[in-house]
Amino acid sequence: MSTDTYGHRLSVFSDRNFKYLMVAPGILILLLVGIFPLIYSLVVSFQNITMTDVDTSFQGLLNYKQLFRDARLWQALGHTALITAIALPLELVLGFLLAQLFLERMPGRQIFVALLVLPTVLSPIVAGATWRLMFDVRFGPIGQIVSYFAGEPVTLLWTVNPSLVYPAIIICEVWQWTPFMFLLLLAALSNVDQSQLEAAELDGASYWRVLRQIIMPAIKPVVAIAVLIRGLDLFRIFDIIWALTEGGPGSMTETISLYTYVIGFTQFDTSYTAAVAFLVVALLSVIVTLVLRRMELVK
Amino acid sequence: MLGASLLALTPSMALAQAKNAAEVAVEAAKKFAGTEISIVWEAGLQSLDPLNYSGPKWEKLTGIKVKVVEVPTDQMFTKIMQDFRSGAGAYDALNVIPSWMPDLVKAGALEPLDAMVDQFGYRDELQDIAAAYRDNQMKVGDKIYGFPDDGDVMLLYYRKDIFEDPKMMEEFKAKHGYDLAPPKDWKQFSEIGQFITDKMAPKTYGAGFFRAAPYPQYMYQERFRMEGGKFFDAETMKSTVNSDVGVKVLQDMLADNKFMPPGVEQWNFVDNLANFLQGATAMTISWPPYGRWAAGYGSGEEALNWVPKTQVAGKVGYSINPLGRPELGVGFALSVSSASKNKEAAYLFIQWLNSKQTSLERVQLPYTLRDPFRTSHYESAEYRKLWPDAGAYLDTIKLSGEKGLLDLSMLQQDKYDEAMSKALSSLFAGTDPKAVADEMAAQFDAITEKVGADKQKEIYQAWAAKPGAYP
Amino acid sequence: MTALTRRQRRALTLAMRYLIAVAVTLLFLFPVYWLFMISFKTPEEIFHVPPLWLPGQIQFNNYWVLFKDGDVVAILNSLIVAGTSSVIAMVLGTFCAYSLARFNTGGENLAMWIISQRMIPPMAVVFPIFLIYVHFGMVDTFSGLILLYTAFNLPYVIWMMRGYIADIPLELEESALVDGCTRWQVIWKVVFPMARSGLMATAVFTFVFAWNDFLFALILTRTEVITFPVQLTHYMGGQSNFWAKIAAMSVLGTLPIFVAVTIMQRYLVRGISLGAVKG
Repeated sequence: MSTDTYGHRLSVFSDRNFKYLMVAPGILILLLVGIFPLIYSLVVSFQNITMTDVDTSFQGLLNYKQLFRDARLWQALGHTALITAIALPLELVLGFLLAQLFLERMPGRQIFVALLVLPTVLSPIVAGATWRLMFDVRFGPIGQIVSYFAGEPVTLLWTVNPSLVYPAIIICEVWQWTPFMFLLLLAALSNVDQSQLEAAELDGASYWRVLRQIIMPAIKPVVAIAVLIRGLDLFRIFDIIWALTEGGPGSMTETISLYTYVIGFTQFDTSYTAAVAFLVVALLSVIVTLVLRRMELVK
Repeated sequence: MLGASLLALTPSMALAQAKNAAEVAVEAAKKFAGTEISIVWEAGLQSLDPLNYSGPKWEKLTGIKVKVVEVPTDQMFTKIMQDFRSGAGAYDALNVIPSWMPDLVKAGALEPLDAMVDQFGYRDELQDIAAAYRDNQMKVGDKIYGFPDDGDVMLLYYRKDIFEDPKMMEEFKAKHGYDLAPPKDWKQFSEIGQFITDKMAPKTYGAGFFRAAPYPQYMYQERFRMEGGKFFDAETMKSTVNSDVGVKVLQDMLADNKFMPPGVEQWNFVDNLANFLQGATAMTISWPPYGRWAAGYGSGEEALNWVPKTQVAGKVGYSINPLGRPELGVGFALSVSSASKNKEAAYLFIQWLNSKQTSLERVQLPYTLRDPFRTSHYESAEYRKLWPDAGAYLDTIKLSGEKGLLDLSMLQQDKYDEAMSKALSSLFAGTDPKAVADEMAAQFDAITEKVGADKQKEIYQAWAAKPGAYP
Repeated sequence: MTALTRRQRRALTLAMRYLIAVAVTLLFLFPVYWLFMISFKTPEEIFHVPPLWLPGQIQFNNYWVLFKDGDVVAILNSLIVAGTSSVIAMVLGTFCAYSLARFNTGGENLAMWIISQRMIPPMAVVFPIFLIYVHFGMVDTFSGLILLYTAFNLPYVIWMMRGYIADIPLELEESALVDGCTRWQVIWKVVFPMARSGLMATAVFTFVFAWNDFLFALILTRTEVITFPVQLTHYMGGQSNFWAKIAAMSVLGTLPIFVAVTIMQRYLVRGISLGAVKG
């Protein structure tokens, strides 16, 4: 007689098949769309297909060796890591604060929440384009506002000045995705056991203790996944940067997805792009596994 | 083979003598009535031509339906290559940028057109295309792969009213010792620009350019060559963009920003246009559409209602660029996909589009982005009447075309273009010009090495031998 | 100074929360406001220096043009594609998630494999997928895009719902099972209601991800199934920027989601779910 993870008896027939039945359709679709492209990419990465040559002979590690000589690739990875490292915590903290703000009932809360979700709902292309216009020196309001507070006309070249390009990108990114964290955390926080909280309040526990010992553990599963998803998405950030700087000035804000776009889509270095893709997948797998292990351990 | 094509020529030559190329194409296409062909076209304003005008007209004349596949410019190359590589063959006719042609041809994506050109007697009308485009944007090797369809060339636009203002002229002559007129070289350009800014800023500045990627690299290509620079050492194929001349050109381009409006480093094509149309800049360099829009031609058109209303209509003069040899810059050609299943129908459509008769109508559409490119366009009485200065406009375009410089075009050209574009955006962001030039040269060399210096040398020398490659 | 009564303190807190809420909302919405305003401006107003904070008059011409030219069909296409794929992904994904959360099906390997799908750079797989689609004639079709978006959102749904389901106390299900319910009934009667807020939050973003996808929509369609993001990029040319259309189209394209979120965020309220439990 088999049991599930929690020790319940699984009836011989229904539960055991049940669990497989439940995952089957989803896995099937994932396989359909996921497996072939991966195998294809893998095979291609060992060939030498470029824009003009379709050389499908086995080339061994030709493309993979190239990876290590490609400075621009590692710079792109660095840029991506930088953006992720700054934006992700910002989004998490701001989202948490917002969720706390709106957790308790208040009249009109529905409107606030619905409005606050708008930035996330905008197409990233539009978000990037809108901020580009807003940052514009002549036609955008940001310059106007800054000049007003500074008392004199200030020219800020957000999309060209090397010290301002990263802030510009991060502002746009955090603006757009904090509501995502906000919504997720709101859902998670609203599920925290009310009775525990009330008991703690009666006991006179300070806010910080309540936070650490009741709230954090309760929302940890959701936070962990939100961080994971958002982190992975940040790694693939593209539209915002494309709209704001196109990876410029020079290649200063070129992230890995922009770089992959350039070599894969405009230069058609198909084989090399596949190798880069696998490098990225490998790197991310390692990171994700490490992160998951840590979270699982503490779980 | 020769005999067969001669036989094929005879009946259609008889036809050709009676009808022009447009009519020939229509006649020959009628047998495909009821079918549908697709054409890839740049999305947005460009597509209005086939969507609202040429597509419906063709359908009326021949019964062939035209499906316009709109693709954003920066995706065009990708989609064309992917369609070809996958064997999907979903595209029949194509718009391609001429500098892509060597790569596309090498990959096998374009159909050679010579046979059909002869079959339908198009050689004559091809000769009418201005030499700059005809001789450089039509063939790869010695085979025809596309019909140049756009007279892209850089023009200098300037505010006649400022340049002809007596007070300005007097003070300028007093200060600099020569007459205030469209600059003949870049030194004059800087002096005039600075002078106007000193006198008229912040209402009007001396000049403005688009400095944001990807277009500044065309201005760079022009200025670099005109000041004596060469992209490569023809023997070793080592890049020489970081020679002293190269560094100087970069320094000068950066220095010009000083008298331009603040924020010019961010300007793209539309920003530059808006500023010029609003009178904020006294000089600018750009493609021919600025001239039409500045004159207010087509301003009532709904399709153009995103263009700010011109405040400088009637005040704009046209001139050839400083140093007298402007960059041709981009351009478009009509081609047939080699994977198409309707090659003949697609070919006939592009012959008709490109013909003397139809192309004249098309370049006069108020919302068009296709610029005059045929001798018959430049001389068209009809066109010259479109607005008071249209005659001067056409004359300038014609002269500029004749003197035009070709865009650099080698294997994997987009990689070189990218290197130049990134270099310029670095430059305007404040990186030291020498460092920028060295980086550009290093990237050029890396690309050349990857392609194969020998292969590239052959292509480069062939390109460099053309009259429009180096002054 | 007299101490504030409990009631007064609460009123003060509420007032402060309101103040902050309004300030934060204004800040976050400013770009959206700007976009809205652009959609009502004429080109002169868009390129006006200094920037105009209000259009001269509210004119709907920019919207009217979109309807007239038929561009609005892109919104319809996106609704169909994103809506259908989201529903499918939510259903299949939640069931998967339940299985993973309660039975640990496939162990860590399966879970890892699922999340790894989201690590794959889309650029790398879009061309092979294009090849498959060409082979099966699925390019430029609704079903093609729906299948794709479902597949790409499944990992997200599975992982999110796994977390939310894990949050639901086991006792609830146990008591229901003891009461004689089958697993299916447990899911419908206990899990779904309890996980409602999680379901809604996940559903919203599943829809948004599908709605906003650009890369696959671009490569896998030509003319028949042009979705909202692809239509938008048609307005951004090298030599033209239809700002008015971009803004108007963006507003139109944001409305459906805004409506959906407004409806759904009813469920993101603390307290609803717990009422059932304690009794």
